[in-house]
Amino acid sequence: MSAKGLSDMKFIMDFQVQRHWNWKVAFYLYGSGTSAGLIFLEVILRNADVIRERTALYGMWIGLSLALVSLVFLFDHLGPQARWRFLYVFRRPATSWISRGALIVTVLVLLRLLILLPSVPGFEGLPLGENTVGGNALRGAVLLFAAAFMAYSGLVLSSWNSIAFWNSPMLPTLYIGYSFLAGMAVLPIVAALTGGQAELETIGTVIWPYLLVLLIANGIGLLLYLWGMSSGSLPCRESVRRLLQGEQRWSFWAGVVGIGLLLPSIAVALALEGQLGSGSTPAVVLVAACLAIQAGGYLLRDTVLQVGVYGEPV
Amino acid sequence: MTRWGFTIDLERCVGCQSCVIACKAENGTPPTVHWMKVLEKEEGEFPYARRTFTPVRCNHCDNPPCARACPTGAIRKRPDGIVVVDQDMCIGTMACMTACPYYVPYRWDGDGGYFGETLTPYEEEKYAGFKKGTAQKCHFCYHRIDEGRPPACVEACPADALNYGDRDDPESRVNMLLRQKKHFRPKEELGTNPSLFYLTGKGGGTIGGGKS
Repeated sequence: MSAKGLSDMKFIMDFQVQRHWNWKVAFYLYGSGTSAGLIFLEVILRNADVIRERTALYGMWIGLSLALVSLVFLFDHLGPQARWRFLYVFRRPATSWISRGALIVTVLVLLRLLILLPSVPGFEGLPLGENTVGGNALRGAVLLFAAAFMAYSGLVLSSWNSIAFWNSPMLPTLYIGYSFLAGMAVLPIVAALTGGQAELETIGTVIWPYLLVLLIANGIGLLLYLWGMSSGSLPCRESVRRLLQGEQRWSFWAGVVGIGLLLPSIAVALALEGQLGSGSTPAVVLVAACLAIQAGGYLLRDTVLQVGVYGEPV
Repeated sequence: MTRWGFTIDLERCVGCQSCVIACKAENGTPPTVHWMKVLEKEEGEFPYARRTFTPVRCNHCDNPPCARACPTGAIRKRPDGIVVVDQDMCIGTMACMTACPYYVPYRWDGDGGYFGETLTPYEEEKYAGFKKGTAQKCHFCYHRIDEGRPPACVEACPADALNYGDRDDPESRVNMLLRQKKHFRPKEELGTNPSLFYLTGKGGGTIGGGKS
């Protein structure tokens, strides 16, 4: 019988890639960020009467479900120890960004539940509907917490100086942009589900130009972030190398850039030019483009986590 | 008030791994958990190639990023500067592992012992002190320190490369070594203010490492 552990392990002075935060955390950051972006835009667009009440209601439920699913992923990542003691996570908002994020996302979920309550049979009489004082106050609070969560999803990473690739003010900015992008891309999917092609065309006239602007802006943001990191410290440059040429290159180039930015940009640009054909083809292509944006949003979070490299410890 | 500090003399370390084994024997850490490590590096080219050894462990920073990142408050600093993990409070967020620039903390998920899934009586007794899914890191052998004994790694080092002492006592062994030898602290520029000093050669400097 031989012992395992010491003989099969060698500690070399070298870069270490973080492996603690995996795809489940990436999904949590993507899901909660997208959900926050969706609810933020939905409140704004509903207030501007761009989307119908039914679409807004379904969007709110989908956003809530996405946030809850992403929380399930987070708690699954934490393991069995956390399930009954997850309340401890709220103890240190003064210093811990995870604590702040848990508080923000919980308040956001509660606010959403309050907004949705009047649509549940038996609670119709609650003074929380649209155009009521209570409803407006709730929606104002939702805007505030949604914006806070979008910023949090990047700040939680950039606040740590252990991994130089994350330790940049560009990262929260990029994640806010991606949260808006993915949130806006959920709206056409909800519209197609609730009102079919007619509803998609109605909101499309308003949304497509903004979506294209967001796609281009996020592409530029991503470029600036990587350009800045490529001239940073040695661990920073190593992270960029791993992202662009290393183990994550396929996820990044094909997923984040190709599927997440380029293809949707082409589809939306063609739609704006009226070049997508007739019948149901434009609707199918545009809904597919919106789904592709979701895939790109998730892959961005995942690849950024996967290429996080610590510097040498000494 | 005592403020514990630690010195590692890089000129004296011969990479024998005694400190690693002593730490394992004292604290009974599982196979995937290493509170003390000796990193190796090959430097230069033939005929001047050489291998250098750098022991690393928790630096018990004055301003520990792990404690700031922990959302549950499971990581705290004792009045004597030792940073400890309360396993009853830890829920395994791994925030400390990601936040620590020295990648010191580990999470133990209970993946068996050194001889497979069945634990030896020694392992059974020792692993009972570790909670599955929680963060694990060096605690400066506080159970020994509190009894006036040195940490296991310091006691085991045959080359006298590892030393510890009170940073606030100008006559302590640590401050004496800092006066005698050049030294640096790991990644001091990050503002963590580690209580661990690497000694590199003759010619000393300031003692105590300042206050946070």
